[in-house]
Amino acid sequence: MPDYMIELRNVTKRYGPIVANDHINLSIRRGELMTLLGPSGCGKTTALRCITGHNIPDEGEVWIDGKDVTNVPTHKRELGMVFQNFALFPHMTVFENVEFPLMIRGLNKAERRERVMEALRLIRMEGYEKHYPRQISGGQQQRVGLARALVYRPKVLLLDEPLSNLDAKLREEMRFEIRDLIDRLGITAVYVTHDQAEALALSDRVAVMNAGRIEQVGTPDEIYDSPKSRFVADFIGLSDFVEGTVAAVHSDQERAVIRVGGLDISICARPDISSPGEKVLLFIRPNNVELLPASHEGGQNIFSGVVHKMTYLGDRADYRIIVEDELQLRVQTDGKIRFHEGENVKVHLPIEHCRVIVE
Amino acid sequence: MKLLRPYFKAVVNARKLLVYTFLLCFALLIYMPFLMIALKSIGRGWFGRLWLPPELTLDWYRWAVEVTNIPEITKNTLIIAALAVAMSTLIGIPTGWAFGRRKIPGKELLMSMILLPRMIPPIAYALGVAQIFYRLHLINTHFGVALAHVAICAPYAILVLSATFEGLDERVLEAAAVCGANPLRTFFHVILPLILPGILSSMIFTFTTSYNEFTLTLMTYGKDTITLPVRTYIAMGEGYWEVTSAMSIILVIPSLIVLFMIQRQVAPEKLVGGFKGV
Repeated sequence: MPDYMIELRNVTKRYGPIVANDHINLSIRRGELMTLLGPSGCGKTTALRCITGHNIPDEGEVWIDGKDVTNVPTHKRELGMVFQNFALFPHMTVFENVEFPLMIRGLNKAERRERVMEALRLIRMEGYEKHYPRQISGGQQQRVGLARALVYRPKVLLLDEPLSNLDAKLREEMRFEIRDLIDRLGITAVYVTHDQAEALALSDRVAVMNAGRIEQVGTPDEIYDSPKSRFVADFIGLSDFVEGTVAAVHSDQERAVIRVGGLDISICARPDISSPGEKVLLFIRPNNVELLPASHEGGQNIFSGVVHKMTYLGDRADYRIIVEDELQLRVQTDGKIRFHEGENVKVHLPIEHCRVIVE
Repeated sequence: MKLLRPYFKAVVNARKLLVYTFLLCFALLIYMPFLMIALKSIGRGWFGRLWLPPELTLDWYRWAVEVTNIPEITKNTLIIAALAVAMSTLIGIPTGWAFGRRKIPGKELLMSMILLPRMIPPIAYALGVAQIFYRLHLINTHFGVALAHVAICAPYAILVLSATFEGLDERVLEAAAVCGANPLRTFFHVILPLILPGILSSMIFTFTTSYNEFTLTLMTYGKDTITLPVRTYIAMGEGYWEVTSAMSIILVIPSLIVLFMIQRQVAPEKLVGGFKGV
């Protein structure tokens, strides 16, 4: 059995002068939930449509389950798909919608009925068999969409922004429901979204896309903690970016010092930082920066600063701090100890949270 | 506040009264002429001095059927209408598909050009049609009269069908493909059931348009292709108002049946796709 359920090999898709997918390589393992994450227009939907066969790539190959399906039409690819606008058949009841893939495959009536009812039980929609899509709520329609996609046990489940038409609370509930369902069925899934929180919460791995390319593929932890580019760091979570130059690399290669204006900031070195003088982008998450009272003395990576602005957000406090008159940092704390605008503080940039991106 | 309540009630009642009076007048305006011909067609010796005819009879209907050869004329009318419906639908489906589902530069302009025959005065248009038809020997043929009708039926068909096809959600068709349906099965299980109500209503509209058409028929008919509306007009000229009234009623019946069909079978909510917004 091949290791990968889905492989995009060098897939390029153009729409006129626009390159929607630019030599994309992506391998999705069996039983894995892979999210394609990116802003609108980044090519994530195009990539998904190459997997479904609604798009034929201009270059490259699409492999599903060890077979080259680049030129296989959609209806022969054995996929299940959930759509952003649900895309239920409006003239069919809930039962008929879920039954449709089984009817197409020529299962007999008794078996069809059994499997439809089983699927409806799975999504807790028993009793709605005779309803038409327009008679049920958006969340219910999406669950029926999920049942229709899963009822014939496809090799792969594709989800195209399935939650973006639902309201915030329902979205969060459905997120767990979908993850739970995928875990129970052990199916390979590809999930397309522009919502980074959704991607981090759901995925085994995330592929962050930008301008038709894949910027980084990794687990949610890797993507969040060690982004490989400014785009990834910026798109996922909040970030402070500081431009600097490498001042020194310690001989054990585990530490480096980055000079930012007149400040020397120590970091855990990345293997690809080698020579002093190299320009790098230092970044740290605002919630990893520590604020200490001005009276605090000593310690590594501790600088003096002044609170420029403070916004209280309920569960957090959001600060703009001017550090040593050199740079402005955004800092978020849990808000238990609050500092006021104009107050002098000490800013601690914990060494393990300071990262660099080599551009 | 409590003191004012009866006053408000009186205002509301007065408004209600006004609305009902208006509706009654409106109904009379629309249905009185209809009632008049209905009474005229079954009354004998009724010249309008009395409220109701002094004597009731079905003679005028017998006359209409025997003297004016209603079965033959009805057959002509239906053949012409059927031809007009067939041609309009054949034109309307591809044109409506293009208008509803494709990006066409200057779509609005093209649509208004298609609607043009409906906008200019029918008699002027019919005059032009007649001149061309005389040269092409299409006068006094069922096909010819039907072809003239298509000029005003097809715009209806195109309008209704482009709206129908526009409402066909591309994602629903994609969903069918992902579910394993090949293009043929997608067509029969998904596309056809979704567009059939639209096609039916287009056919009903074009049928009634052709069935009721007078001006274009008048300019293109001959003795073999006379239709019910034209024969009714001729009967009026012959001076037998009671017979003309009976013919009018006969003329109206199919329209009523169609109206009933629209109300019952093609419920308006079936005409639009079922996707309840986001």
